Amino acid sequence: MYEFVRVKRLPPYVFAVVNQIKMEARRRGEDIVDLGMGNPDLPTPKHIIDKMTEAAHNPKNHRYSASRGITQLRCAISEWYKRRYDVDIDPETEAVATIGVKEGYSHLMFGMVGPGDTVMCPTPAYPIHPYAPVLAGAEVRSIPTGRDYDFFAEMEKAYKNTWPRPKVLTISFPHNPTTEVIDESFFRKVVDFAKENKIIVVHDFAYADMLFDGYKAPSFLQVPGAKDVGVEFFSMSKSYSMAGWRVGFCCGNPEIVSALVKLKSYLDYGMFQPLQIAAIVALRGPQDCVLDICRIHESRRDALIDGLKQAGWEVPPPKATMFVWAQIPDEFRKMGSLEFCKFLLKEGKVAVSPGIGFGEEGDGHVRFALVENEHRTRQATRGIKKALGKGA
Amino acid sequence: MSPRIQVSLADRLRSLPPYLFAEIDRLKKEALAAGVDLIDVSIGDPDIPTPEHIVASMKGAVEKPEHHRYPSSAGMLSYRAAVAEWYRRRFSVTLDPATEVVALIGSKEGVANMPMAFVNPGDAVLYTSPGYPVYPIGTLFAGGEGFPLPLTKANGFLPDLDSVPAEILRRTRLFFFNYPNNPTSASAPKEFFEQVVRFAEQHNLIACHDAAYSEIFFNGKRPPSFLETEGAKEVGVELHSLSKTYNMTGWRLGFACGHPEIVGGLAKIKSNIDSGAFQAVQEAGITALQTDDHVLSGIRQTYQARRDALAEGLRQVGIEFDLPDATFYIWARVPSGHTSASFVELLLKKAGIMATPGNGFGAAGEGYIRFALTAPVDRMKEAAERMKTLL
Repeated sequence: MYEFVRVKRLPPYVFAVVNQIKMEARRRGEDIVDLGMGNPDLPTPKHIIDKMTEAAHNPKNHRYSASRGITQLRCAISEWYKRRYDVDIDPETEAVATIGVKEGYSHLMFGMVGPGDTVMCPTPAYPIHPYAPVLAGAEVRSIPTGRDYDFFAEMEKAYKNTWPRPKVLTISFPHNPTTEVIDESFFRKVVDFAKENKIIVVHDFAYADMLFDGYKAPSFLQVPGAKDVGVEFFSMSKSYSMAGWRVGFCCGNPEIVSALVKLKSYLDYGMFQPLQIAAIVALRGPQDCVLDICRIHESRRDALIDGLKQAGWEVPPPKATMFVWAQIPDEFRKMGSLEFCKFLLKEGKVAVSPGIGFGEEGDGHVRFALVENEHRTRQATRGIKKALGKGA
Repeated sequence: MSPRIQVSLADRLRSLPPYLFAEIDRLKKEALAAGVDLIDVSIGDPDIPTPEHIVASMKGAVEKPEHHRYPSSAGMLSYRAAVAEWYRRRFSVTLDPATEVVALIGSKEGVANMPMAFVNPGDAVLYTSPGYPVYPIGTLFAGGEGFPLPLTKANGFLPDLDSVPAEILRRTRLFFFNYPNNPTSASAPKEFFEQVVRFAEQHNLIACHDAAYSEIFFNGKRPPSFLETEGAKEVGVELHSLSKTYNMTGWRLGFACGHPEIVGGLAKIKSNIDSGAFQAVQEAGITALQTDDHVLSGIRQTYQARRDALAEGLRQVGIEFDLPDATFYIWARVPSGHTSASFVELLLKKAGIMATPGNGFGAAGEGYIRFALTAPVDRMKEAAERMKTLL
């Protein structure tokens, strides 16, 4: 009877297929190690929880909050940028808090693009990056990304082959799912490209703190001129293991920030104030918890890479993110990533994400999320070894 | 350094007026900065704290690591089950928590996302007017065409469904209505809901009832749910918020329930836009929905006392209004010679009272202002006193 007009424009959600099979196996009593979704499993640090509880008891915090986030929260993210990247962010005009990056990014797309506009976005990608502009009525032009591609050459090609010219470029490094990382010179080139072509840049910096082997990820905003062309999203989800709390930020170009502030004032009333106060404490408090969270993921990465190697599957270790992006072994590649995932589930009792779920370019890969402890991770690689031993 | 690039916004954002309450917020800040002893009765934001047992239930929940992970956008099944149980208890309506209930990050978000899920550019959306500004705004965002149905004293603040032109009806996908009504504080009889069901069936449109004020009622006159009406669940959904019922505005929690396909469509668009509400907040929501009715009747008595205090004062200064049976608003006519805006300005500048201009809720609200019963009785009396000297 009813049609879902916007959702109809989206591609089928392949992760649901894997999820379904996983749930069925679990219902049969099978012990499936789930490395599918990037859903952080570590608890939020205690001092953050305690602040939340304390703040929730103050009746002042039970009333409507500011849609763009309370002043102190915007100051806290501004200090975070100064401390970490020596970037100046005016908390009044250049920062807005969002109900997680997903909400902020989707609504930013609603505010900036509509029918007739085009957004450029790498493929494979975090699905929301292309979905949000599609839901806003815009078109998406994909930029093939990964180890085999020269990003700028591909971006140039995508740009030149699109008319009317793309209006927005969405990027995210460290990159989910490919785990690709970049250095500051990359962002300098992005800024040059944006200025030359008058394109808005949106950078999703969700994995700012999930860095391994001494790698330091630059902020897009630390590059001269970045604030002239774009904004950056940061999320509390990964850095502070606060995925469930739904707190993120959009900082940078004041015009873009104010567009998002305006749009959000029509659509939501912001976040529960105790959550905001807890986030302030997280950003301003001791940061060793961030390093601890990062190190735990690094150890899991090592366990996974090592276990896969023992299973005969050589995968280069990622320098960042909470994922391992693995090319499907030659013998199995022609199955495609979805079938290969089903195979790993059935024969190895491990759930991973099929690369095709992140875009056609991802079909030769699967993504492991580092969301189980080392013990479970080893159990997973033993299962994979068994599965691969059976052959295609 | 080369100049900033030109940031051009999407048409949908350019076409919007400033959000009414954001504008009021600005005026209020100015007055406070100028040292005015402000009586703020503008925004429907309860000043009464969230009941302690609800706050306490959050403490245990926030310590559980499973709640620190991503929630599902649709909401925890246990929260949706608590909603279904509340509906059974309160309205004798049966809902399947898995398919007929979806959690919302407050009903504002749900109202905004309904057109995103169901309205194509060029489709029409009907809504009662004056009304919650997000009905027309959500419609505009989706590229739809809004068609306001005026609520006037003459029509008993109920929309005239027969007045909609056939040309509009042909394109109508969605109808927002809201009783007990904000801002007019009017209640709807069951017969009106029956009429809406027939109307929706006849014109194949989605009936979306915003029931945010269903639990703020006086003298035991409990408002019905739209879903109690025969056939309602086949044509529509009802949106609720925990904000007003449990003084939880800041917590951002609500739900939509009813027709499984409509609930499913809303859930689907939402899964692409948000990741749901913090589960610790949902746990508090479960506790809230299980709240004993005597706690709520205490809250109602508080509002009733305020209503009576303000009503008494308004009568004395000769301002016309209908005494509401529900909601925490009084919808009052401005004195002759005034517009909504001029009277609100007068109240703010000469009496330090911040009310909401009726036309901010739509053109049909011109000539009215809205008082929210969100200040204590003595402040209500004080407001009346100040008006006396003014008029």
